[in-house]
Amino acid sequence: MKNPLRKRTALDLSPPAKVAGYASLIVWAIIVLFPIYWLVITSLKLPIQVAAGPFYIPGIDFTPTFDNWHYILVDRFSDTVRPFANTIIVALCSSTLALILGSSGAYALVRFHYRPRIGVIAIWVVVILGTFVAVALGAPWPLAVVAAIAVLLILLQTVGKRFKRTLANSDVSFWLISQRMMPPVAVVIPIYVLFQTIGMLDTLPALIVTYTAANLAIVVWLMRDYFLSIPLDLEESASVDGASSFRTFRSIILPISRPGLVATWILVLVFSWNEYLLALFLSSANAQTMPVMVAAQNSTRGPEWWYMSVLILLMIIPVIILAVVLERFIASGALRGAVKG
Amino acid sequence: MDAPAKSDWNNPRLARNLFLWPALIVVLILAIFPLIASLVLALSKVSLVKGGFKIDFVGLTNFRTLFLGSERTHVLGQAGTPTLFGWLVFLGGTALLLVAFVRTVRSRKIRPLGLIGRAVGGLLLVLLLWSVATTVLGSGGRPGTLMVTIVYAFSGTLLTYLLGLGLAVLTTQRLRGQRFFRIVFLVPLMITPVGVAYMFRMLTDTEKGPITPLWRAAGLSDFTLLGDPWGARLAVIISDVWQWTPFMFIVLLAALEGRDLETEEAATVDGASKARIFLNITMPALIPVSATVILIRLIEAFKIIDLPNVLTNGGPGTATESLTLQSFISWRGFDLGSSAAIAYTLLVVVTMVGIGYATFIIRRTHSMV
Amino acid sequence: MAIGRRRWLGVLPALALVVGATGVAAQSPSTGEYDGVTVNVVTFSGPPIAEPLERYAVEFEAATGATINITKYPFSDLYSKALADVATGTNSFQLMTLAAPWVADFASAGYAADLTDKIANDPDIAWDDIMPFFRDIVAQYAGKVVGVPIDGDFTMTYYRTDILGADGVAPPKTWDEYLQIAEKYDGKDLNGDGVPDYGSCISKARSGVGTWLFNGVLSSFVQTMGTGQGTFFGDDMTPLINNEAMGAALDFWKTSMEFGPPDENNLDQQGGRDMFTSGRCALAIDWGDTGVLAIDPATSKVIDKVGAVQMPGSTNVLDRATGKLVPCDATICPNAIDGVNHAPFAAFGGWSAVVNAAADEKTQAAAYDFAAYVSNPTRSNIDVTHGVTGMNPYRLSQFGDNMANWVAAGFSEAAASSYLGAMKDSLDNPNMAVDLRILQSNNYTNVAEDQAISQFLAGELTKEEAMQQLFDKWQELTDSIGREVQAAAYAASLGVQR
Repeated sequence: MKNPLRKRTALDLSPPAKVAGYASLIVWAIIVLFPIYWLVITSLKLPIQVAAGPFYIPGIDFTPTFDNWHYILVDRFSDTVRPFANTIIVALCSSTLALILGSSGAYALVRFHYRPRIGVIAIWVVVILGTFVAVALGAPWPLAVVAAIAVLLILLQTVGKRFKRTLANSDVSFWLISQRMMPPVAVVIPIYVLFQTIGMLDTLPALIVTYTAANLAIVVWLMRDYFLSIPLDLEESASVDGASSFRTFRSIILPISRPGLVATWILVLVFSWNEYLLALFLSSANAQTMPVMVAAQNSTRGPEWWYMSVLILLMIIPVIILAVVLERFIASGALRGAVKG
Repeated sequence: MDAPAKSDWNNPRLARNLFLWPALIVVLILAIFPLIASLVLALSKVSLVKGGFKIDFVGLTNFRTLFLGSERTHVLGQAGTPTLFGWLVFLGGTALLLVAFVRTVRSRKIRPLGLIGRAVGGLLLVLLLWSVATTVLGSGGRPGTLMVTIVYAFSGTLLTYLLGLGLAVLTTQRLRGQRFFRIVFLVPLMITPVGVAYMFRMLTDTEKGPITPLWRAAGLSDFTLLGDPWGARLAVIISDVWQWTPFMFIVLLAALEGRDLETEEAATVDGASKARIFLNITMPALIPVSATVILIRLIEAFKIIDLPNVLTNGGPGTATESLTLQSFISWRGFDLGSSAAIAYTLLVVVTMVGIGYATFIIRRTHSMV
Repeated sequence: MAIGRRRWLGVLPALALVVGATGVAAQSPSTGEYDGVTVNVVTFSGPPIAEPLERYAVEFEAATGATINITKYPFSDLYSKALADVATGTNSFQLMTLAAPWVADFASAGYAADLTDKIANDPDIAWDDIMPFFRDIVAQYAGKVVGVPIDGDFTMTYYRTDILGADGVAPPKTWDEYLQIAEKYDGKDLNGDGVPDYGSCISKARSGVGTWLFNGVLSSFVQTMGTGQGTFFGDDMTPLINNEAMGAALDFWKTSMEFGPPDENNLDQQGGRDMFTSGRCALAIDWGDTGVLAIDPATSKVIDKVGAVQMPGSTNVLDRATGKLVPCDATICPNAIDGVNHAPFAAFGGWSAVVNAAADEKTQAAAYDFAAYVSNPTRSNIDVTHGVTGMNPYRLSQFGDNMANWVAAGFSEAAASSYLGAMKDSLDNPNMAVDLRILQSNNYTNVAEDQAISQFLAGELTKEEAMQQLFDKWQELTDSIGREVQAAAYAASLGVQR
C-alpha cells in the first residue's frame, strides 16, 4: 500500500535504484540457489542418471526417484539419526557456551582495563604444561588438576606479584584471535592425545569443549565491535541508578546488542555444526557427527553424489529453519529505539 | 550457597575478573598444550614402535627440507623471469613501500622498536613482491603452496567483503521480500565445507555437470576448467567466495541493523544524496566491524583446505595446493613432523599478517580499545 | 579394489539367503562361545567390504553370542585414524580391515597380532585354498601371518571385444601396442551416441588410484626375475626410479593421456569406470571391478562386449647395473612370454582383516573367528561374484570351479572365462609384482610418487626433474626411517627370508 504522504526516509530507494537493487538481489539469489537446486535434483536421481548427466528438471528430462531418501531415512535410519542428534546437541551446547563466555569476555575487554602481568601469564602456562606432563607420566588426572590449582594459587600469591610488566586489552584480544591461526591438522593429534589421556574420546562433551574453545575468539571479536557501538552514557545512567555491572550487562547491554548476539550465535553454531576434522578424530562409534557422515559418502570408488546430496540437504534444513526464526531478531532497529526512548 | 551480597557484585575487581576469565581459561587450557605439542612435533621425527610411538628430536630438519631441501620448489614455487607487468608490479610496489617508509622515518613519531619492525616488515613485503613477480607473473615460473595460499586468502577475503557489504546494504533498504533474500543469502554458510567442495565438483564437471551444454556449445569440450592451473585456482576462489560471502553478509547486516539511524534521517531531510550519506555516515560506522570481519576471514582463509582437496586433490600437479592441504597430505601419511612444520610455517605467516594488520588497521579503527 | 552401488542392494536379500542356507548351518562355531565378548571392527564407508561385514556380523553374533560393532570412516582417513588409535594406545578397535600396503606399519610395530598358530589350528578357513600369492606374500609379514585375506587385488587391462574384434585387432600385449590401439580408436564413436569417444581411460587423479595403476606399467619394465626380485628398490635400498625404465613408464603415462578424456588427470576411480562401462573407451586399466560392473544392466552399455587380459608388458627391460633399457633375452627375462616381459602388479594387494595385538586373548580369538567366518569359502565364493561386496577373487576355488556362481551373478560363460582367465594368467605368472609394503609405504608411493607423476603430467616438471625429485625424496624417506629397517621390511614384503 502506498501512502503518498509518508516521509521519505534514509532507507527508501528511488525507483531506478530500486530496479537495480532488485536485479542484483535476484542475480545473487539465483547464484546461491542454483547449486542447492542441483543438490535437490541430484538427490532424486539414480546413479546412472548422474553418470549419464546432465539432466535438469525432474519429470521432464528424467524420472525422479525417492530411493536415495528412502535409503538414508529408512534403511539406514539408525545410522543417520544418531549422528544427527549428536550434531544438534554439540552445535547447540558449544555455540551457546561460546556465546555466554565470549560475550561477557568481549564486554569486559570493551569496558574495563586489564593489566595482566606477563609473569602471571607465564605461571599459568607453566602450571598448565606441568599438569599435562604429570598426567602424561601417569598421574591420575583429577589429582593432577587439584594439585595444579593449588600450585597455581601459591605461585600467583608469591612469585606472581613480583612481575610488574603488563599487557593491555588489545594484547589479550590479539592473543585470543591468534588461537584461530593454527590449522586444525596441526592440533588434532595433540587434542586427540589430550582427550585420550582423560578418557573422554568419543564423547559429546569432548566435542563441545573443543568447539567452545575454538569459537570463543570469534565471539569475543565480533561482540566487542557491537558493544563498542553502544554509547557509554546508557550504562553510566544505569550505574548512577545503582545497578551492578552484571545487571547493566544483562538488562541493558545484551538486549541492545541482540542483532549482534543473534548473528554471532548463528555463525558459531554453523561453525560447530559443520566442523569435520576434529569430529573425525575425537569421535568413533558414539559421538560421530553429520559432517563425518557426509565425507564418508566418498568411498573408494568415488563420491556417491546421490546420498551425499541427501545428507547435505538434511543438514541444511534445521539451520534454515533456525535462520528463518531468528532473522527477525537481527532486524531490530525498532527495538533499539524502544530501549532508548 | 548464599547469594553474594550485593556489594560483592558491585566490586569492580571481582566483576572484571568474572567477566573475562572464564573465556580465557577455556582457551588457555585447550590452546596452549596443542600449540606447544605441535611445535615439539615440528622439531621431531615420529616413528612407530611396539605399543606406541617414539618422538626423536631432529632440530630444524623438517624446516630445512621445506625451505632448502627437496620440498623447496613445492613450497616456494619455481622462479621464472618476470614479465614486463611483473617488473612493473615489483618496482611500483617497492617504490611505494620506500616512500611510505621514508615518510614514517621523517615523521619522527616512531620509536626505535617500531622502526625496526617496519623495516623488517617492509623487507618481507619486497621479498613477497619479488616472489609474485617471478612465480605468478614470471614466464616459466609457477607459484608454490605458500604463494597459492596467499592468493586464495587475499582474493577470497576481498571479494567476499565487497559482495557481503553490497548485499547487506541492499537488504537493509526498504524493499519488498527483504526477509526472503536475507535468509536465502545465508544458505551457503550452512553447508558443511566438505559438502560445498563436493557440490562444486559436481557443478564444475564439464562432462556431466550443469554447464556441459554451454561448455560444448562454446567449443571447449577438449578443455576442462579443473585441468588448467589457473582455471582450477579460479574454481577454488569462486567456490570459496560462494561459501563465505554470507559470513561477511550476516555480520555487516547485524551492524547495519544495529546502527543509529538518526543522523542519516537528518541528512536525508537535508537533501544529501544516498551515495554521500553512505560514504560519510554509514561507512565510518561500519569500519570497526569491517576491520574485524576481514581479520577473522583472512585468518580462516589462510587455512583453506577442503576446496582444493576435493576439487582437484591439489592438482593439476601442485597448482591448487594450499599450505594446509600440503600439511594434511603429510599428515595423512602419518608424517607428523613435516605436517607440523608446514603448519607452523603457516602460523608464522598468518601471525605476521595479523600483527601487520593489527598495527596498521585495527589500531586505527579501534582507537578505543 | 572395492566397488558396489546402491543398485546392488537389490541382490542382497537373495545373497543373504543363499549364504545363510549354505553357510551358517554347516560351519557355525558352537553357540555361546563368545558370550559377553565385544569386538569393535573398523573399516571404511561401504558398501564395499563394510556391506558383507555388517551382514555377517548379525549371523556371527547369533551363532556365537559375541557382540560385533562395526565403525566406518572415509577411506582416505582410515589409515591415519586406525594408526593414531593403536599408536597412542587407545586401542578402540580389535579388528581392523587394512589395505595390504599399510600392513607393514602395523606389523613391524607389533600392533598386529600374530595369527600363525590360529591359522594352523583352523581347518575351516581352508588356508591352502587361498592363492599362494595372497597366502604366502600378502597375508604374511616377516614370516608371520598377520592378516586374514578377505579380498584379492591386482590390475588388469580391459578392452572392447566388439570394437577390437570387428577389426581383427588382438588385445595389447605390450605398452606400444596399447598406445597403437588407443590411438586407432581415439576420437571414434564407440557407443553409437554420435559423440566422439576415447582410445584409453585411466584414472590419473592426484591422491587417487593413479599411482597404483602407474606402478603396474613400471613393474613390467623393471621386474623380470620373479616376484622375489621386487620392483622398487635395488641393492642397499637404492630406488629404481631414476633410470630409462621409469622414463619409459612416464612417457607411456603422458602419451596415453592424448588418447584419453580431457580431464584424465582429474579422473577418479569411479569416473574412469563409468567412462568404460558407458562405452566411451576402447581400452582401460583397472582392478577386477570393471569386469563385474560391466555385466550390470543398470549402468553398463557394454554387457558381453568386454574382454580382459593381464597387464601388457615390454620387450625392453631395465638393466639394473647401468640403468639402461636392454632387449629381453633368456637371461634377463626368464619369465618372458613370447619375448615380452609381463609383471602383473598386485596393486593395493587387497583388504586384510588384522587383529589388534593389544586385545585380550578371548577377544583376539573372537576377532579372528569373525574374520575367518567372512573369509570362509562357502561365503566368500559367492561374495566375489557380486560387485556390492567389493571383494575380488583370492581363493583357488573362486575361479573355474566356481562357474555356477559367476553365471548366477549375471556373467555369460564367455565373459566369465575371459575375466577369470586374465586373473588366472596374472596370478600364475611367477613374475607377479608385489606392491610396496615397507614402513610408511603410503608416503613413498601415494604421497611422493603421486606428486611427482602429477607434476610431470601437468608440465610442472620435466621427465628428468620428476625422476630426480622422486629419487631424492625416496632416499630422504629411507634415510629418515632407517635404511636397515627398510631393507629388512622390503625383503620381508617380498617373501624373501634372509
